[in-house]
Amino acid sequence: MSDILNILITEETLNMLMKIGIIFLKIAVVLGITLLHVAYATYWERKVIGHMQVRLGPIEVGWHGFLQPIADGVKLFFKEDIIPANADKPLFYLAPVIFMVSALTSLSVLPFFDGFVIADINIGLLFLFAMSSLGAYGIILSGWASNSKYSFLGGLRSASQVISYEIAMGLSLVGVMMMAGSLNLSDIVRAQHQYPTGMFAIPQFLGFFVFIVAAFAETNRLPFDLPEAESELVAGYFTEYSGFRFALFFLGEYTAMLIMSSIAALCFLGGWTIPKFITDAMPLLMNVPGIVWFLIKVYAFMFFYYWVRATLPRYRYDQLMAIGWKILIPLALFNIVLTGTLRTMGVL
Amino acid sequence: MTVREFIKTIFFVEILKGLALTLRSMFTPAVTRRYPKVKRPVKPGFRGLHALAKDKNGRMKCVGCGLCGAYCPSKCIYIYTSDGEDHTKVVDRYEIEVLRCIYCGFCVEACPFGAITLSEHYEYSDYSREPFYMTKEKLLSNWDKYFAGEKGKNYFKKFWRPLSEDFRTPEGQAVFNKIKNAK
Amino acid sequence: MLPELFFGYFAAVIILLSVIVITRRNPVHSVMWMLLLFFHIAGLYLFLNAEFIAAIQVIVYAGAILVLFLFVLLLLNLREELKVKRFVGAWPAGLFITTAILVIVLGAVKSFVPGPAGKYSIEFIKQETHTKALGKLLYTDYLFPFEIASLVLLVAIIGAIVLAKRKTRSK
Repeated sequence: MSDILNILITEETLNMLMKIGIIFLKIAVVLGITLLHVAYATYWERKVIGHMQVRLGPIEVGWHGFLQPIADGVKLFFKEDIIPANADKPLFYLAPVIFMVSALTSLSVLPFFDGFVIADINIGLLFLFAMSSLGAYGIILSGWASNSKYSFLGGLRSASQVISYEIAMGLSLVGVMMMAGSLNLSDIVRAQHQYPTGMFAIPQFLGFFVFIVAAFAETNRLPFDLPEAESELVAGYFTEYSGFRFALFFLGEYTAMLIMSSIAALCFLGGWTIPKFITDAMPLLMNVPGIVWFLIKVYAFMFFYYWVRATLPRYRYDQLMAIGWKILIPLALFNIVLTGTLRTMGVL
Repeated sequence: MTVREFIKTIFFVEILKGLALTLRSMFTPAVTRRYPKVKRPVKPGFRGLHALAKDKNGRMKCVGCGLCGAYCPSKCIYIYTSDGEDHTKVVDRYEIEVLRCIYCGFCVEACPFGAITLSEHYEYSDYSREPFYMTKEKLLSNWDKYFAGEKGKNYFKKFWRPLSEDFRTPEGQAVFNKIKNAK
Repeated sequence: MLPELFFGYFAAVIILLSVIVITRRNPVHSVMWMLLLFFHIAGLYLFLNAEFIAAIQVIVYAGAILVLFLFVLLLLNLREELKVKRFVGAWPAGLFITTAILVIVLGAVKSFVPGPAGKYSIEFIKQETHTKALGKLLYTDYLFPFEIASLVLLVAIIGAIVLAKRKTRSK
């Protein structure tokens, strides 16, 4: 018995177990922190939009309503789980899980600060695209499986919207890939740190603009929230969901927003680094840990999400498609050509 | 599309203006009133929960004439009287179904004795319907609660209508001006 | 041992899933099984160190083409579809042909010989990254086939537009 154990427990297997253990620890840390962020993203959204509309937002539960997300979570957890009579049960159960999983899986390739990333893969950016397009299944399936008009219309709208804007978003990031010469997110950030302006948002302003618009559409946020347009479709694809399954959709949506903000921070705003000319001017800033800069950028982008939601009305569906196909995609293609030309000329 | 409009469109001038507006309003103080904690001050003369007025000696002013019940548009006032000693009219029951009341205040105006009043009290929600059926005793205790002291007197001075001055000739009317001018 | 197990799992599951996909009564369920199938194929690509192809497999096939499948299915009347016979009458003939091909392939397996190892060894790919190596090859040695493929796609796009465009009466 002990012989077999001795064979199995070599230094190599122990090392491997250590590695796996560290990965699990990282996953636990990232998941925990992200879910906390998601919970408080809902709180800050209500707070920011409330103040923009000269209201107070949540204020009764805890100090300035700070325990509101927890109260909401407890409420959703204990609510009755209703399933429509003619729903396609397996798909109805599966849809929120796909949505949530696709959002959470994207977290695994995001480098939060130098060296802290769960899976440092070479195709990080492509992996993010793959996962975000997978999220569309959750939406379409939930729309179809609920056996309801409103859900179905929401699902259909979302399907065409996500496909259309996926293209624009992918093309907008091609410029970044060309500038960095890599698909690995850590390498993209390092390339930005080497670059004189310190952020790709400045030379890639066209790409950045296309990315922002496409990111709003991909996450079904205002002004492109047609799949869940409250005034027409009740709640769109998750109209028939209640209780914890509804919470999964909610969490998935906010996780997707956080991920889009992270992509913007990593690919366009320099991730965990700040431009060199700033650190040259103020060397004290070198001591600030990278995660602080990363989080500041992510929070700023999230604030922009809320800000736009409080400002702009919803677009009409044909306008949405026209923006996607007639403006964003040609603009992104032009950006690629421009970047390529300038790169070969050695200007950028 | 002129050049100016085109430039405005590609630089999102309108959207930026909108964003600036929302950002500005974010830093203006909120107008929210946190209701159960901060109550809205009731304007004098507000028509709230009913009360039956008492006179100086603490007796009910109501004589049971039934004018209020006759006037009531939603017919929610019930009055039952009987023949008392030496043929005085005794009001046995005076009841108001508050859930049906529309707070028009006609009963107050109809009352010749200033007996029925509408108090400034408005927070009387409950879980069942019984508490909203006001009996005579409840209505009288409402008077003690919501018109205590000088409040009752002031109410009749300021808000109880019609007073005798309401029946004077309105001076501003054009018809009368003509007569004045003719003289 | 581990690589063989890995490959065995993926190969077996891919076959199993393909059978499941074509035997489901509900087309939407078929599509969902197909999604799982595509992920296993992507896993197989990863196993071959072709990470770029794996990502493209998921983005293009699972993310776009299958969504379009689903989109078309949602426009069909599925309640009717559930009652229709699933296979055409000639399915025994198809089964016979495929079994015959399988037998031939199995018989020919012995005479397979691995080709000569080229420049693109696993170490080279790992060092160069798969995306870069693939891009370089596509845009240098195989530029012509690549352009032909894109031209074919362009023809398909134009064809689709021509078919879909509503005919306006000429004055």
